[in-house]
Amino acid sequence: MNTSEGSTEVTFNNRDPVYLQVVRHFKERIATGQLSAGQVIPSRRELGALMKINPNTVQKAYKEMEEQQLIITEGNSPSRITNDTELLNQIRSELLGEAVSAFVASVRKIDVPIEELLQLVRSKYQEGGPEHD
Amino acid sequence: MNRYLKLFHMEVHRFRWMLAILMGITAACQISALIWTLTKELYRRREPVPQDIGNTFQVSAPEQLTFEWAMANNQLLFILPILICISVLALYIFFIWYRDWIGRHTFIYRLLVLPTARRNLYLAKISAFLLFVFGFVSFQLVLMPILNVIFKLIVPADQRADSHIVDAISRNLALVELIPRQFEQFLYYYGMGTIAVLAIFTAILLERSYRRLGILYGVLYLSGCVLAVMSPSLLFDSRHPYLYPNELYAAELIMFVFVLCISVWLGIRLLAKKITV
Amino acid sequence: MIEVKDIRKRYRRRDVLNGVSFTAAKGEITCLIGVNGAGKSTILKAIMGLTPISGGSIHIDEQSLRPQLYEKIAFVPDHLTMPSGMKLSEAIKFMADFYDSWNNARARELMQFFRLNYSDKIGSLSKGTAAKFNLLLGLGQDSDYLLMDEPFSGIDLFSREAIANVFTSDLIEGRGVLLTTHEIGELEHLIDKAVLLQDGKVSRAFNCEEMRYEEGKSVIDVMREVYRA
Repeated sequence: MNTSEGSTEVTFNNRDPVYLQVVRHFKERIATGQLSAGQVIPSRRELGALMKINPNTVQKAYKEMEEQQLIITEGNSPSRITNDTELLNQIRSELLGEAVSAFVASVRKIDVPIEELLQLVRSKYQEGGPEHD
Repeated sequence: MNRYLKLFHMEVHRFRWMLAILMGITAACQISALIWTLTKELYRRREPVPQDIGNTFQVSAPEQLTFEWAMANNQLLFILPILICISVLALYIFFIWYRDWIGRHTFIYRLLVLPTARRNLYLAKISAFLLFVFGFVSFQLVLMPILNVIFKLIVPADQRADSHIVDAISRNLALVELIPRQFEQFLYYYGMGTIAVLAIFTAILLERSYRRLGILYGVLYLSGCVLAVMSPSLLFDSRHPYLYPNELYAAELIMFVFVLCISVWLGIRLLAKKITV
Repeated sequence: MIEVKDIRKRYRRRDVLNGVSFTAAKGEITCLIGVNGAGKSTILKAIMGLTPISGGSIHIDEQSLRPQLYEKIAFVPDHLTMPSGMKLSEAIKFMADFYDSWNNARARELMQFFRLNYSDKIGSLSKGTAAKFNLLLGLGQDSDYLLMDEPFSGIDLFSREAIANVFTSDLIEGRGVLLTTHEIGELEHLIDKAVLLQDGKVSRAFNCEEMRYEEGKSVIDVMREVYRA
């Protein structure tokens, strides 16, 4: 299981579909460059065992990723990350976009001036470092 | 068939130590009793002492010692191991079933989910039990010539006369019942015994199927069986001789076969459909 | 598919099962959930023919129960059911003798995986070790279905982990698993389908991922709704 480094440290929440959480986990790893174009990913069973989840759920997650063309599976060979770099780049902006819109949506309720907000975000982001959720 | 044989083998295997211990006790008791009696008698002959009063019901020794005399003179220590064996086997009629339900690891779960018809389990238990019974009887039979050899080794040739083993058996109160002289008698004894065991098996399975209520059913079933086999002689007693003796005999036989069939059928059916763990 | 239809069972003047129906498909992990005494074990026993039912029907791949089907369904009861005097090696021999579907190579693998000793006696095993060996006896069969009664209850943390690992391994891939539990715990992400029992009936039966997708509820959330109401 050479492809396993780091991928086990996932805590799933119970309320979102687990397969979507798996998909998101893959997207995050692509966005941060831990997974690169063309890289082989673990088999369904390997990933199920690593993440301690039902292999059927992994199957569903892989199917979802195939539909989104994130991964490709040819015949009996192991699945790999797509070589479509444009698509991979989109993921980064997609994740970022999602996170920012969620943030903005909750901050908007407080009705804070944009300059003050940006100032706050900058200082928090710098001091917080990797300590984010 | 194959799985029946495996189950049968397993049942025998589970009782093997008990079987060995019981046979050991029987052999030890009977051999030491024989040796003790003979040496005592031979000692008495060498140094004649007045017979003490405690031994009045001892059969007085003939001029020439026979194996038959030794058997007749040795009732208790021959009967005792036989009684022990009979009581252990009688208890085992129940234990052969209940042992699978009791304890931390209830084996009956496994036995009932084996991929084989459950009647094989029933047949394995009854045939193993019968094997134990006939095993003991044949062991006792085999022991007789061995005892005879021991007798001949101990008693000097000039002091003994030959006797037949069959006569020797008939002189012992327990052995004569255990191994009747006539084959017909043997069939009756063990046939009735087998039917009784099967009826008890069915009563046990009634209890295991219906639990508390099953105890009642079991008792009623056994009473029913007893009543059934007694019915011919109860209905047609000697004062109202509607039937000739051989007709009465036939009626009895039919009732026994009837009880046999009902017990086996009901037992297997309960095991297949109604049993609960 | 295991198909349980409207089964009923009265025991000691109480309706333990009062018309229970559900299905458990091959290739899926189905979990029967209910408080103690809800009749979960009784359902498994009924499927295995270990206790008679007073009504309803049970079919496995559209066939009614008969002993030959026990090659296809393996049962792991909530306790080890081999005689105490047997050695583990003898128990394995027993299984190999009686089941055509017994897979000795897999049994050997599992003996190693669970770190069990062939020469140990059944009666001398600790609770956790007994649970592992019990599971081995079930997994050792090449069966289509696997029934497990409370596989996690009353055993130590490390044995629980070892057993949980089995669920995500190839050992149960492709089989239909039906297990019971009274607490969902580590099973939340392992099961495909949950069947909640209450008062001798099925109160909810759902696909866990669908429940999360459509209603945003975890299995525990649904359990709270059902059992607190």
